[in-house]
Amino acid sequence: MTGRPVKVKITYCAECGYEPQALALTKALMYEFGARLSAIELIPWESGTFVVSVDGDMVHSMKRDGGFPEPHVISAAIRKSIGA
Amino acid sequence: MAVDRARWEKGVTYDAFKAGMTRNQERFAENEGRVVLDPETVRTFKSLPQRLRVLVLAEDWCGDVIANLPILGRLAKEAPTLDVRIFYRDQNLDLMERWLNQGKYQSIPVLVFFDQDFRELGHWIERPASVTQRRAAERKKIFAAHPEFGSPDAPVDQLPEDVRGQLQAALQKVREDLVPFANAEVQRELRELATAVAV
Repeated sequence: MTGRPVKVKITYCAECGYEPQALALTKALMYEFGARLSAIELIPWESGTFVVSVDGDMVHSMKRDGGFPEPHVISAAIRKSIGA
Repeated sequence: MAVDRARWEKGVTYDAFKAGMTRNQERFAENEGRVVLDPETVRTFKSLPQRLRVLVLAEDWCGDVIANLPILGRLAKEAPTLDVRIFYRDQNLDLMERWLNQGKYQSIPVLVFFDQDFRELGHWIERPASVTQRRAAERKKIFAAHPEFGSPDAPVDQLPEDVRGQLQAALQKVREDLVPFANAEVQRELRELATAVAV
């Protein structure tokens, strides 16, 4: 393990029922990174939002990138951030 | 797959949908209770020359379903010309594919009007465009009045938690304040649809 733990934020549209996708991504990241993450914050929002940021950098936006993120894309962003 | 009698009977009634809700039951009941039916809407549906079947695609987690389905439910109680059956979107994706919003989005609720022989007469999806536009305009005003909320296009996760909470409350208030307008617009669109299919 290298680098300091990073924080992941997942903002999802609660009005759209995106909880399963938010929870699935959370679970995948918890298992893959464990204590290398300082926190995973889930933010219920609206307006078709699904945004994932890693240490403040947006790595996926449904509006910008379309659809839900591929977990490996988020993992790669986290690895880059922690220097793994 | 065409909608026929066998498929129709797999749908649940409005009351069964309400009873089977796993969430938002209170919000749904509250919305149902505050629907004010326009007499013109009731008159239009009561005077339909034939009984209509209304196939609805819905899910209990969807905000637009919670907001708009109670209007149809109340209307169907007043107008016995409407026979409503509800299908859970995620268990009926073949139906969803037939009535996609703009040909690509799985927006709900979808209301599909059929005659007694399952000939489609018309459909309605999600919410009126006028409601979307009003919400967007009000949202814009909120951001203009509160510089602390930042840009409307910026990810909200970058806002401090207390500011994000204030923004969330402001956006919820807009939605609440627009309920009478939104309900009237839904009824106007359904009335226009009913008038068109009654010809």
